[in-house]
Amino acid sequence: MAEVAQRPESFLPLTPAVFHILLALTDGEKHGYAVMQEVEEMTEGKVQMGPGTLYGSIKRMLAAGLIEESDDRPDPTLDDERRRYYRQTGLGRRVLREETERMAELTALARRKRVLAGIGSRSIPT
Amino acid sequence: MRGRTGAPATIDLSVRIYTWLLAAYPGPFRAEYGRHMTQVFRDVCRRDYSRGGLSGMTSLWARTSLDLVRTTAEEHIERGIEMNREKFVRWSGWALVAGAVLFAAGLIIGSFDSFDMDPIGGVDAVYEISQIVGLVAGQLLFVIGLLGLRAGYAGRSGSLGAGLLLLAVIGSVVSLGGLLVMSSVEEGWLVWMGGYLAMTLALAVFGIVALRRRVFSRWNFAPILAGVGVPLLFGIGMVGVSSVNGQAPEWGAFLAVVLTSVGLILIGYRMQAEAGRTGEVAA
Repeated sequence: MAEVAQRPESFLPLTPAVFHILLALTDGEKHGYAVMQEVEEMTEGKVQMGPGTLYGSIKRMLAAGLIEESDDRPDPTLDDERRRYYRQTGLGRRVLREETERMAELTALARRKRVLAGIGSRSIPT
Repeated sequence: MRGRTGAPATIDLSVRIYTWLLAAYPGPFRAEYGRHMTQVFRDVCRRDYSRGGLSGMTSLWARTSLDLVRTTAEEHIERGIEMNREKFVRWSGWALVAGAVLFAAGLIIGSFDSFDMDPIGGVDAVYEISQIVGLVAGQLLFVIGLLGLRAGYAGRSGSLGAGLLLLAVIGSVVSLGGLLVMSSVEEGWLVWMGGYLAMTLALAVFGIVALRRRVFSRWNFAPILAGVGVPLLFGIGMVGVSSVNGQAPEWGAFLAVVLTSVGLILIGYRMQAEAGRTGEVAA
């Protein structure tokens, strides 16, 4: 079947799990546990995905063409070769960028409405 | 105390219980990802045990139980929806094929009726009854087929394509209604033709969307083929280009019926062939 051209906007808004997985794969390919660790580190433990959420999201992202499996192994001697590695696709990168822009616009809107007034030094980049 | 794998017994036991609980997921999902989920769970067990001992494991199990309950429900619902949609798209594809054949047969057999306006019966009864059965059954199958077309392809057709498919469905319902009331309401045939014209026009324009977006894996011209004949026939009839009295010529009507039927058969065939691959791709 010919690949159907999907516009990045048609995937928005992303679920938090899909957004974090795409973000975790920005630095390169990773296996499931590494993705989970990266998400926990990035969010300082605020987001902890279970294996069901992780692989349910991975299944849907593979079907949507946002990520793909990789045959490469960063260091085969250090790793279990039965692990599956995943990486972003071009579409996945575009979708992540669109979603980030969308959230930035929303944050800017909230700033103009002074929603963040009084929160103190905690700032959200726009 | 160490388990069989050299890990603390708590970890071994937890992994064994988790592997057993994976049976709650749908079979295909478990077959594809079960081993990897167990591996990830084992990694997290080791980490949390080394960080927090038994309290770390308790916290992990609390999180994992919630994850299991939520995601098994999600996967079962998703699988159920996919299976139902797949079946519906496949069968409605066949409905479109059967509808096109019945509709064309009804119109062609009906054309042998020498007295168009007489009551049903007499020497032409066979032609008249065949025409009514063919048209009504065919139109009913069009409604089912177009509902399946929308269910399977609206997601990949964009908002314009999805809107046109909805218009085609509405047109087919109106047309069926017109057919059903034709014998008792004088304007029934106008409702029938209006609905049919809307249905075919919407299909013709949807064909342009299909060609641009490659909605089907092949034969994306089929909706244009299905939709262009009747509006053209109406156009010819209205401006009286090809005949003296402003009526479309008979060969034109025959050509329109053939074009529509062939187009609908091609669409229906593609629907049943691609039914397993028409799932929405939203992540």
